[in-house]
Amino acid sequence: MQPVIQEGVKRGFRIIPIVEKEVKQLIRDPKTVLMVLAMPVLITIMFGYGYGGKEVGQFPITVVNLDHGEGSYKFIDDLKNSRMFKIEAIYNTRGEGFASVYRGEVYSSVVIPPTFTEDLMMGRVTRIEVIYDASNPQMAKIIMQAVGVVTQLYQEWAAERFGTFAIKPVFYTVYGPSVSKVENFMPGVMAMILQMVPTSLISVSVCRERERGTFEQFIMTPITVFDVIMGKLVAYFGATISDAALTLVTAMLLFDVRLRGSFFDMVVVSTVFLLTSLSMGLFISVFSKNQLQAYQASIFSFILATLFSGFLYPVDVLSPFAQTVAGLIPMYYFIEAFRAVSLKGWTLDMVTYELAVMMLFTVAFLAMAMKFLKLEVG
Amino acid sequence: MLAIETVELTKAFGDFVAVNGINLKVKAGENFGLLGPNGAGKTTTIRMIAGLIKPSRGSVRVFGIDVTRERREALKLIGYMPQKFSLYEDLTVEENVILYARLFGLSRAEAKERARELLKRFLLWEFRNRLAGKLSGGMKQRLALSVSLVHDPRLLMLDEPTAGVDPPLRRKFWEFFRELNKEGKTILITTHYMDEAENCNRLALMSRGRIIAEGTPREIKRRAIGGDLVEIIAEGHVRLRAEWVKSVEKRDGRFLALVDDAAVRIPQIIRELEGQGVKVISVAPMFVSLEEAFIRFLGD
Ligand SMILES: Nc1ncnc2c1ncn2[C@@H]1O[C@H](COP(=O)(O)OP(=O)(O)OP(=O)(O)O)[C@@H](O)[C@H]1O
Ligand SMILES: [Mg+2]
Repeated sequence: MQPVIQEGVKRGFRIIPIVEKEVKQLIRDPKTVLMVLAMPVLITIMFGYGYGGKEVGQFPITVVNLDHGEGSYKFIDDLKNSRMFKIEAIYNTRGEGFASVYRGEVYSSVVIPPTFTEDLMMGRVTRIEVIYDASNPQMAKIIMQAVGVVTQLYQEWAAERFGTFAIKPVFYTVYGPSVSKVENFMPGVMAMILQMVPTSLISVSVCRERERGTFEQFIMTPITVFDVIMGKLVAYFGATISDAALTLVTAMLLFDVRLRGSFFDMVVVSTVFLLTSLSMGLFISVFSKNQLQAYQASIFSFILATLFSGFLYPVDVLSPFAQTVAGLIPMYYFIEAFRAVSLKGWTLDMVTYELAVMMLFTVAFLAMAMKFLKLEVG
Repeated sequence: MLAIETVELTKAFGDFVAVNGINLKVKAGENFGLLGPNGAGKTTTIRMIAGLIKPSRGSVRVFGIDVTRERREALKLIGYMPQKFSLYEDLTVEENVILYARLFGLSRAEAKERARELLKRFLLWEFRNRLAGKLSGGMKQRLALSVSLVHDPRLLMLDEPTAGVDPPLRRKFWEFFRELNKEGKTILITTHYMDEAENCNRLALMSRGRIIAEGTPREIKRRAIGGDLVEIIAEGHVRLRAEWVKSVEKRDGRFLALVDDAAVRIPQIIRELEGQGVKVISVAPMFVSLEEAFIRFLGD
């Protein structure tokens, strides 16, 4: 027996049995399984319904009135009366209308050109400009048709009054961040799930062993601090990666969320953040005296993150102090990167900075966890 | 070679000194008992020997290896069974043993084989698929013993292995320990059952962080009462005057003589009494329990 063991110790690849042990423990705990599997689905559904999934009936639009003539007011009334549109705002510059689509506030902005009434009265060919969000092709088509219908009716009315002429709709495309609010919230929902579940789960992993006393036997084997930390990290990563997938799939199936980025890129960004969350949890676990403390620390870090990461309010509108704090929060970088990839359709090479910062956080958390984890009891 | 050698081993928790300058020498192959009342510092001492707690002062060597400096080397030689059950309750009996075998570097197949061997030996084979948390107290102790042996250690440290175990199983445990001793393993054991401690080759009695007595069970008893007690039943009055007789007292129609060494003195007592013309019915060493001895030690 002795020779086999001596040789075995030298072989020393102890991470695999640790990973297997952690995974077994995770899947045998019904509370954990419920948290991992149900949480992403529940939260996504809550957000989906809470923030209005598919809007039916009226399309929110804005109108830019550059004409201010009789003809333009009649046209705006017609848009309103068609009951197909909900006019959110009427602007005086094309830029504002453009921005409202670009920011994702409305599906479309209808621009009435400066010479509209004059053109009508002179019987000239005039136009209506429609700026629409091409990120949502279905919605864009419906809006174009609806604007077409209103224009048609208006044309008939105008023809009676001013004689023959023609109104030509002109369409401009804009790539805003999608219009649907759920889609807008997706980066936040992802961030929430990818931090809350993994961090709180893994944050109790080390101190639970201390509390239950299993640590005392565990560290009587020739394992190293590296084995313990990496073993747990790999196991919990395997268990929680499903959260990212579940969230995305739930949002897509139930709320018809269309994310513009490639699925692969979104998975990469999520994975990088998931590793950061888990490392932070391990860091918390090494410093917590017991499970309760660990939970409290995870919740605290989560609240801090939601306040400052742009999850609730865009970071741009926060105070300079808050903006500095945001820079210290991994979730901020995730939301930036995920928003860019999923809504703006950016590719990974355009978010390398955010990815690098998240990885830096991960390495720092892991290094500190390993430095301060003592293979001792008492 | 010494299996364990501690020099001035000390542990303070804040101001409280739990273990105070202990010098222990446990010989290879011995069954050494560490005894003492609750809070005496036994567990703390064992944990320091296992490298689980850093000593505040002093040193520990296990088979010559400094545990503080070369802990991972020392761990290959130490099997440890904690006082409190410390295995994974959400893993099965077999999974626990296999996990530990693999943490010591055995391959999957080797670990499985080792688990089979140990579980059969300690009568747990038929419970191998039961979750450790669902085991009875005695079974948990047997599982913990199995796990402490996965890497075939030369030194086995057992912290109250028989606590909460029924008498037949306790006897069985001591049979296991004797077998393990025969295989050449050194055992350091703690227990509160004094009848068990009689089975140890040597004992150390701890109290308030210090060792207050050390030796074979016989030596300890002799020191506790100041010699050996010899029970004499005779017709007539027993009067013994020799410098090796410390006292004679009459109790329930028998005489109890306290002498320096019963084995040597009993024939002399018989000769002496017969010389005095007293009719001797029996002269025999009287059994003094360790419990008695310890209560005397702890009393003063
Ligand atoms: N981590 C710790 N922090 C503070 N005090 C401790 C710690 N561990 C042990 N002690 C104290 O040290 C003393 C010795 O404890 P220890 O567990 O070594 O005693 P013991 O002889 O094993 O007792 P028992 O027979 O009850 O198991 C006790 O008073 C205990 O309260
Ligand atoms: Mg103890």
